[in-house]
Amino acid sequence: MATQAPRTASAVPALAPEREVRWPKRTKSKLANGLELILLESHTIPKFHGELYFRSGNAAASNRATALAEMAATMVRTGTTGRASREIEEHLRGLGADLSVGAGQDNSAISFAGLSDQAEPLLQLVNELAREASFPASEFERERRQKLEEVKLERTQPGFLAGERLRKILFGSHPYALVSPTEEQVAAYTREELQSLYRDFYTPENAMLILVGDFDSAAMQKTADQVFGSWSGKKPLATETATPPIPKGRRIHLVDFPGAVQTQILAGCHAINRKHPDWIKLGLTNSLYGGAFNSRLVMNIREDKGYTYSPRSAVHPMRQHGYFSVSAAVRNDVVAASLTEIFYEFDKLRSLPVPDAELLDAQNYLTGVFSMGLATQSGLLSQISTLALNELPDEYLETYRQKVRGLRPEDVMAAARTYFDSANMQIVVVGDRKSIEPQAALFGEMQVFDAKGNPLS
Amino acid sequence: MQIPIEHKTLANGLRVVVAPDSTAPVVTVGVYYKIGFRLEPQGRSGFAHLFEHMMFQGSENAPKMQHIKLVNSSGGVLNGSTMYDVTNYYEAVPSNALERVLWLEADRMRALKVDDENLRNQRDVVKEEVRVNVMNQPYGGFPWLDMPPVAFRNWANAHNFYGDFADLDAACLADVQAFFRSYYLPNNAVLLILGDVNATEGFALAEKHFGNIPAGPAPKFADPAEPNQTEERRGDVVEKFGTLPAMAIGYVMPPRRTPEWYAMALLDQALHGGRAGRVHRELVLEKQLAVEADGGVDDLFGYNGPTQLTTRIFHKPEVSSEETVAAFDAVVRDVQQKGITESEIEQLKVKWRSDYFATLEGGRGGYMPKYGLMHLLACFTLFDNEPQLVNTILNEFLAVTAKQVQDAARKFLQPQNRAIVFRKPAPAAEKEAA
Repeated sequence: MATQAPRTASAVPALAPEREVRWPKRTKSKLANGLELILLESHTIPKFHGELYFRSGNAAASNRATALAEMAATMVRTGTTGRASREIEEHLRGLGADLSVGAGQDNSAISFAGLSDQAEPLLQLVNELAREASFPASEFERERRQKLEEVKLERTQPGFLAGERLRKILFGSHPYALVSPTEEQVAAYTREELQSLYRDFYTPENAMLILVGDFDSAAMQKTADQVFGSWSGKKPLATETATPPIPKGRRIHLVDFPGAVQTQILAGCHAINRKHPDWIKLGLTNSLYGGAFNSRLVMNIREDKGYTYSPRSAVHPMRQHGYFSVSAAVRNDVVAASLTEIFYEFDKLRSLPVPDAELLDAQNYLTGVFSMGLATQSGLLSQISTLALNELPDEYLETYRQKVRGLRPEDVMAAARTYFDSANMQIVVVGDRKSIEPQAALFGEMQVFDAKGNPLS
Repeated sequence: MQIPIEHKTLANGLRVVVAPDSTAPVVTVGVYYKIGFRLEPQGRSGFAHLFEHMMFQGSENAPKMQHIKLVNSSGGVLNGSTMYDVTNYYEAVPSNALERVLWLEADRMRALKVDDENLRNQRDVVKEEVRVNVMNQPYGGFPWLDMPPVAFRNWANAHNFYGDFADLDAACLADVQAFFRSYYLPNNAVLLILGDVNATEGFALAEKHFGNIPAGPAPKFADPAEPNQTEERRGDVVEKFGTLPAMAIGYVMPPRRTPEWYAMALLDQALHGGRAGRVHRELVLEKQLAVEADGGVDDLFGYNGPTQLTTRIFHKPEVSSEETVAAFDAVVRDVQQKGITESEIEQLKVKWRSDYFATLEGGRGGYMPKYGLMHLLACFTLFDNEPQLVNTILNEFLAVTAKQVQDAARKFLQPQNRAIVFRKPAPAAEKEAA
């Protein structure tokens, strides 16, 4: 695209008038025990989807052990005071339900979906898992061994190694720097610390239940109250963490992956969380840069130059902070050439206003994709969850499109100048050192690591 | 749950299926061609997929980059994928962009306009796709690329579907146009319009944009039938990066939509239905030989030739392959000898029904509404000429008895009907040298 002016299409049918986008009503309430409840009806199929969120995850557990909330979440479905693991799994199957328990940096969650006519027994089981998980010792040892194999395996995945390194560089001593435990840390987990975390984090005052699907809200409200009403427990003490410093100066971090036939590039810098007033502006700017198929970076290094299959950029919001990153898995002989284009596209957005037509295209893209969440229960659940977890105003869904459409080329340039911080961008490359080191070294002071994270000379 | 469906065939043979639903102002459009990687030309492994990429490189009135740009800038998303027996192209857009999307799909069904530079570019992109998904990943291509050469003898079923790089390099523009002329015909395709559209409008727009695309001679397809298998087949593949020994055990499925096929689908649930499935329960939870065990039929509704019911096992390094196979065989023997209980089959059916609804509604990666419904409608139309199967096929699964599941296990889970691929980590010394 940089080398040839694209021809445009001829005789393209115009867009018809837009149909109104109408978001379903949300019913919000709080049970006497502090549990927040959000209900949203969607009658596409005779099912419903739910999330029981706890507002504490690995970051809040970091003073106990790395990724401890995730290990606790893994254990939750393996036994309760009333049911053994096998009984839980067969009960779920008999209800036609899917369920998973997991934890990220900021939250833990029990996620589930099931048939509408089996809603009450499924909620009963979710309630049981949230309150009566028993952490059986034998299940713990089995899960620990599985986790050990998992953490070994992830060190053979270029994408994981790149992400882990970037988070370490950007967040330093902040808990967000840690994405996964070491084998030694997994070996040191104890059943007691998992149980203690479970008691502290899995409480109604710390929780939010969101249900989306084929039900009557008034009836579901009653059911939820009956099922979860007798639960009690306090919010855990908040942990305060100092803001991590922004790494200064563009640096390159090479993770040696002997035998790699391709190089994983991941470059990033600090950005913002979803509550920040610039969030939508940055979202639009990211979409122009590398957040869509039609974006500048994809057109440049994929469709024009053929360096890579799946280049992408994204903003990663977390509760306290956020970061921006761009990734591409490229041919070994074009590592330097790809980085050159990655920075060229940053600097172009920082230097020149986006043409009006291109801006309009990106605005249409963002607003169109936003409304697709309307079409499925899981799409609605994900939109509502984002709002609720980030404490965004209720009318966010209705006003988002207008806000996107109100942005001007100068807003995009301002966002690019602030957040595409090319002078301080941290570049991670994961690949075969002997094939790529001279190319990588062109982009800044370089440090080399092995797959376990040890610095190499 | 009944999905309203209307369908008709245009004069040029293009089948059109419309499924109106005004829940959201979004419409999903798909065009499916009845050609996948199974029946791509010999000596051109990976060509069906490379060709799929070429369909985004320019058509008569929408030059390179315009197709993607016009869909994204209408507020929509798009993609395409190449499967065993079909290739699809699809978009989900705000419904005011419906006509534009139909125009784009019709334009590239009418005439592909690509050059050598486009082909070179996409060949490079596809090679990076293969590297990122297969060659530079632990267990890349396991087992979907590892199993075919071990399990099958007919080139159609046994070759490298992603493509040997030498074959990709050998592909030329003449191959692209010949493939297009042979298979990308209205009479070898189905158009699907789902969501915020009414049937009258959908058919009128289909006629307007696709109606004058000329039909071509009915494509000739190679016969994918397999010679009779008489004994178990085994093969080894070296795992370059991963740390655990893995294996895949595949049994050839009976023909589609026979009573035995429905029974095998329920047997699959009994064996692989999540953590309650017998394979996971026995190997991971009870005996604890394996770290992970799952399986299934790759795209149950989307294939139209020989395929397998496959179990994937990642086992502990201190457990031998033979011990693992023996433990798996014990699971199979248990079903064959004791069958499954009435309460188990009832649970399996409830789960099946629930999963089926999710498939119909389901997006793809959370961004493509009605992908599942589109896929089923397309395959039932192309393979069976019967899109209404979407509304009736569930009953066939729910009619399966415990006895039929046991019979299917006895008849099909036999050594002479299976192949095993062992994917073993390279010895440490070899890894250092790599």
